Amino acid sequence: MIKKRIQSLLLHLILIFLVVLTITPFVWMLLSSFKTNAEINAIQSSFLPREFTFSNYSSVQSRFNFLRYFFNSLLVTLSVTALVAYTSTLTGYVLEKNRFRGRNAVFTLVLATMMIPWFVTIIPKYSIMLKLGWLNMYSALIVPAALSGFGIFMMKQALASLPNEMLEAGRMDGASEWYILHRIVFPMSRNAIASIVIFQFLWSWEDYLWPFLVINSESKQVLAVGLRLFSGRYSTDYGGLFAAAAISILPVILIYSLFQKQFIDGLAASSVKG
Amino acid sequence: MKDRAFYLEKIFSPKNVVLLTLGLFYALFLVFPVGVALVGSFHNWNPLRGTFDFAGLDHYTRLFRSPLFWQSLFNTLYFSVVVIAARLVLGLGIAYMLFSKMTKARGFFRAAIYMPVVTPLVAVSFVWLWLYNPQFGLFNQILGTRHNWLFDRNTALPAVMAMTIWKDYGYAVVLFLAGLYNLPKECYEAAHIDGASAPRIFWHITLPLLKPMTLFIFVTSLISYLQAYLQILILTNGGPGTSTYLSSFLIFDEAFVKYKFGYASAISFVMFFLIALLTSVSFKITYFGGSRD
Repeated sequence: MIKKRIQSLLLHLILIFLVVLTITPFVWMLLSSFKTNAEINAIQSSFLPREFTFSNYSSVQSRFNFLRYFFNSLLVTLSVTALVAYTSTLTGYVLEKNRFRGRNAVFTLVLATMMIPWFVTIIPKYSIMLKLGWLNMYSALIVPAALSGFGIFMMKQALASLPNEMLEAGRMDGASEWYILHRIVFPMSRNAIASIVIFQFLWSWEDYLWPFLVINSESKQVLAVGLRLFSGRYSTDYGGLFAAAAISILPVILIYSLFQKQFIDGLAASSVKG
Repeated sequence: MKDRAFYLEKIFSPKNVVLLTLGLFYALFLVFPVGVALVGSFHNWNPLRGTFDFAGLDHYTRLFRSPLFWQSLFNTLYFSVVVIAARLVLGLGIAYMLFSKMTKARGFFRAAIYMPVVTPLVAVSFVWLWLYNPQFGLFNQILGTRHNWLFDRNTALPAVMAMTIWKDYGYAVVLFLAGLYNLPKECYEAAHIDGASAPRIFWHITLPLLKPMTLFIFVTSLISYLQAYLQILILTNGGPGTSTYLSSFLIFDEAFVKYKFGYASAISFVMFFLIALLTSVSFKITYFGGSRD
């Protein structure tokens, strides 16, 4: 009995230690963002700020218009996520529930797209944007991201468990394929769509290289690139930098804390058939 | 009129719309770019000067003679092996701890451990850049040192690895935990009845049953780490010297800093080939002689 107690205590101590290691960088970032620059650079600095100041946040905004980057990121990320959720469900439905010649070949092609590393296609894709005249336009960030191999794969897997009788019943009532898709398939795959929305949102939110390449005006730039621009310009304003990093990270952690079960279930679902 | 609507619906059916969209999209953003990159890797291709002159195999022979290419390839493999090994060992170990019947507040631990995985890499890399700062960084404060971790050849790459392990280990924990929950209970019951010890059950039953999940984590990690460059860009920018160049960072550097698109494309294809090769080899090794499940 005592041996069990000690084992259990040890187990929980190790886990608590891990959690401390895992969240300390975030806590340190947040606390430092409320310190003055003098305090950050002081020889004897403490973990907790001696005097709380919000001036880092207000100065980041007044000097760099961080909100602008934030809203650009939000606009691009929401557009891409909505598009990917729709195209993944539509494509997953066709590849899973419609029968036609070459269906498997199409699905294999979709899977193959996930294997291509970013560096193989990025240079020609950049040239295409140049030719299309899309440089420095939101369309360059949104259109090439509108289809996701991962999203299609996930939706095809999820729709395999949607009973065909439901679709047949719809067809018997004379419903069109589009009506079935929008009124039966979409509502019934809410959970799978939620997982894709979460993954895609995170990926688009943290995307750095593509916006860095195709957007060259600051008024259209996204948060990830903005953070690096800010650090290049105000490299010694550590208080401001901590505040800028916090603005990029905290909204994600907030959304994660609210929906963490969906985040984790979505990840597990992506691997079950893998 | 009814006929016309009927035919329109036939023509613009979900199937046709999907096939047309996929065809156009992949032609424009995948097949065409891969083709252009392949052709470009045999050309002196500089978009700033507008050159696209045939260079034959020059880029390929040059890269195989380039010490920087080999160094970054070595770094990439070293980085990937260490980070993947840490991810698998930590992932399985911690998942096993969370799986234990003794563990309370399992959901809380799992959620906290997974948190770094969801946060944006650029911002997290900046936080770690400051954690390593010799003047005010937390690591030096705790250790009582003033070491410049990222400017020291011996510690720069390990420092980037440590950050990457911290960011990503939760992914393996969650997946291994899902794998453990999905294991058939009958095997355990039979082993318990036979009086097998806990370590024996782990080595001879749990581990072999987790093989597909381990392979999944291994392959997805391999594919993503062979393409890693962002943490290098923020933390070390390849330095000190060229000691933390990873292959993907080298491609980024050659393409978008030096504008040698042809040479960068040649490295891209060599790396692409290597990723494909390593992926298929790991599948072969895992299932050599064994059944597919």
